[in-house]
Amino acid sequence: MAVFAVHLPLLLMGLPLKSYDTNFHIFFASHYLHHWFNPWNAKWYAGFSQTTYPPLPQQWVALVSRLIGLDLAYMAVQFAAILLLALGVYRFALLWVNQRAASLAALASVFLGSESFLVYSAGQLSTTAAAPLYLNALPYMFEWIREGKWRSFLKGAALFTAAAAAHHATLLFGSMFFAIPVLALVLIDRQGGERVSTGAFVMRTVVMTAVVGAAVALVLLPFWIALIHYPVTQTPIPHASRANYILSPQWGVNYFVVPYGFLVLALPFIFVRGSVVARLRPLLLGFWLAFLVGLGGTTPVGRVLLGRAFDVLTMERFSYWATLLALPFVGLLAAELIDRYRLRAVAGLTLAATATCALAVAWSTYRPADAQDFKVDAVANWLNRDGHDNYRYVTLGFGNKISRLAVLTDASSVDGEWNSGRMLPELTAHAGGALTSSKYFGKEGLDALHAILDHADRYSLKWVFVRDPYYEPLLSFGGWRRVDNLEDRTVTVWSKDGVPPATTVNAPQMPPAWQGLMWGTLPLGSSILAILVVLLPDSRRRAPVGVESDIAQEDYVSGRLVS
Amino acid sequence: MGGRFLALFLVAATIALVVVGTLWPVPAAAAYAGMSPSGIMHSPSTPESAVDNLAIAIGHQDWPKAYSELSNKAEFTEQDFLHDLTGSYPSLRTYAILDTYQVQPLHVSDSDAQVRLRMRWSTVVGTFLDTRNLQVVRNGDQWAPVWPIVKETRVPPQVIAVNYLRWDVIYRGPADDWGAQDVEAPHVRIVDMHPVERAAGVVVLGELLNEDVVPAYVSVKATLLAKNGSAIATEDSFDKISHLLLPKQVTPFLITFPNVSLSEVDSIHMDPMSNLVAASADPVVEIQNQKLSPAPDAIFGGDLVNQSGQIVNIAHVLGTFYDQSGQLVWVADQYIDRALLPQTPVSFSMPVPEDLARKVSTERAVVATYSSGGFQ
Repeated sequence: MAVFAVHLPLLLMGLPLKSYDTNFHIFFASHYLHHWFNPWNAKWYAGFSQTTYPPLPQQWVALVSRLIGLDLAYMAVQFAAILLLALGVYRFALLWVNQRAASLAALASVFLGSESFLVYSAGQLSTTAAAPLYLNALPYMFEWIREGKWRSFLKGAALFTAAAAAHHATLLFGSMFFAIPVLALVLIDRQGGERVSTGAFVMRTVVMTAVVGAAVALVLLPFWIALIHYPVTQTPIPHASRANYILSPQWGVNYFVVPYGFLVLALPFIFVRGSVVARLRPLLLGFWLAFLVGLGGTTPVGRVLLGRAFDVLTMERFSYWATLLALPFVGLLAAELIDRYRLRAVAGLTLAATATCALAVAWSTYRPADAQDFKVDAVANWLNRDGHDNYRYVTLGFGNKISRLAVLTDASSVDGEWNSGRMLPELTAHAGGALTSSKYFGKEGLDALHAILDHADRYSLKWVFVRDPYYEPLLSFGGWRRVDNLEDRTVTVWSKDGVPPATTVNAPQMPPAWQGLMWGTLPLGSSILAILVVLLPDSRRRAPVGVESDIAQEDYVSGRLVS
Repeated sequence: MGGRFLALFLVAATIALVVVGTLWPVPAAAAYAGMSPSGIMHSPSTPESAVDNLAIAIGHQDWPKAYSELSNKAEFTEQDFLHDLTGSYPSLRTYAILDTYQVQPLHVSDSDAQVRLRMRWSTVVGTFLDTRNLQVVRNGDQWAPVWPIVKETRVPPQVIAVNYLRWDVIYRGPADDWGAQDVEAPHVRIVDMHPVERAAGVVVLGELLNEDVVPAYVSVKATLLAKNGSAIATEDSFDKISHLLLPKQVTPFLITFPNVSLSEVDSIHMDPMSNLVAASADPVVEIQNQKLSPAPDAIFGGDLVNQSGQIVNIAHVLGTFYDQSGQLVWVADQYIDRALLPQTPVSFSMPVPEDLARKVSTERAVVATYSSGGFQ
């Protein structure tokens, strides 16, 4: 009910459309809508393969869009992810704490600042879709390893595979932050009433890892093939989530204060309770690591643990995972506060949760990804008429509107927003993000722009749409001429003479038809299989494992340690 | 007991890691904090650290902070200081970002010092270097730089009569696209061209003449051909050419082929392109005191004087160098970082490679200009 009350209106208002990446996901979905079995997308980077990014959420958006259109379909899929998160948090928390605390943790997930931040400001559909699947899979993994239940094995494996099909990084790093603590819990809990032998533990863990690994390898085979044949050669591009949040407090607000909100008040409780209660220690350590990595460049941990990946990944997802790992503690804390202070605690917690959620939702308005909201329809119409789309184009000063433009036009661009998918050497050699925002990447960004304009003929780049006069001197001195203007002269169209019509480039990177077939069937199929398998009834009902955390609480109160 | 110890350990470790990450930030974090390679801003206890702090503040575009670091701020306002760095009129400096800087001590005594500050600014058309020799004076146990202020000339209100040629073009209709004209392209001709091998690769130099009686918008493309006739690479002149040629005007051009050796090249296919465009001779930029200082450290310099009434925001100077036989030896270029105000000289200087400078007998400069609101 809370999910419906809080997030449904916000999603129906289309709030995520103002976020950084929402239009990026819609662009990918738009391609699947029109070319389900052909992952080669010619609209960005003069052609790139969408097999470079796990497709599940975008394919669901494409599928649902046949009924309600792309924008609403995105909101629907995002809403389903938020719903699943509440369920996943409940089931995950139940491993660690009692039913009441788990229920409160699930309720807290609805108001989680990091969730709202990712949904409404960052627009990270894949991350927010994969995490709930993963959280839902973990209790099945726990049951399989502890009790050897094959149904749990099937359900866990199917959900893990679907999670990987939604976002591979979540599975990769989730293993470190989520799965290892759960495995440790299996070992700790075996000292209680129900025992599992070490041999069974090892064998079941290996079987689960092997089967999930094989399933993920198969379902995302085109992704791995693309990665092996064309490893990411992109020069690392700066991202503010890697800043030191003390030295750069503006980013500290964005990547720490907003995602955590009043959750920071629970940190002392998390550290104390997580340390004192032995069976909560794995969870605490998982949280602690994710918390440190999520601090970006504030500590050296991220760089040490992740190596080069630190300069490729963005760090806000680690804060997201840290807050998810913190939720069982939050549920426990809330339960204790309510027991002790009753209505006063309820009022305080409600206020804190509401304020945290409100700040994260409002942040997309205070610090919008699109500082200047404008329509790109006129540019798309211009490109779509009179054969203009026979040539490629680039925009300057359009921010992340380039995804929206790419959805609306048939023309191909040499720019794009999926940095790991780009192969043009002029782009990968420089530490600049999208060309449309070159100036924000300093010399590196401008060098990339210069290089691509210099090779306009090579890429059939004939049109440049300029919304920021800053770039005009480069075009003028580089041999481009202004030929038209749009949107009350706020957008000027520049052209270069003698540019040949667009032909296919990056051809060797085109996935063959069989990969397109796999890409169009297996990821979505994995999610449908997961739904069907999860619906299978359990053979017998058991009391949730996590109720034992009541014991842990009592141990703490009496000052005795379980270990 | 062990649990409490674990909690204490984790909290202490977290604090320690945050302290380490703040005092010695990872490169990505340092870049976002705008730190110098040596770390955070420090007490100006040496002349170098005082200039370092100033450069960091300039890099952050924290003008009040930078201004407050100066010892001679009583001599000029913060606005004067800002105009010195970013220009009074829109120019390359206006939106430039400090890319890197170097602090080089030249002389130090107990009470004062000379320090060279070399600032490399990044702009949309490339980088430019701004070198300032700063006197740094001691005040107690701290040092403060004396900023050598350069005040831009303010042009007095006046009327400047202009009498320049202008060509208009009447197109078929508003639906016509530029480049899809039904008129013959202006006649242009490459009057000189030859390749040179340089460290970066093969460089094709040349000159292009507009033989026509109408203005032409030109560019040149070159394709290097191997002995078997296959194309090695195709490049164009991009900004190493003056794209607008009035009748009978000549522009030099330079096309670079990185990572290609001249020994691989059998022939070169040149492809000059021209289009009829509307144009005017305004603004007229005169070049005065043009001279080439000899090698080593050969510099081609002079003054640009805007003879027109409108401000030229960005000027691009192309220098052409010839040997005694009149053959083209080299083409160099420089963007001028300050706006050209009417009747106000602005100097230019561009380095010439030492080995080529020794062959140079005569030189020539042409100027392409950009004025905000329209390209000339």
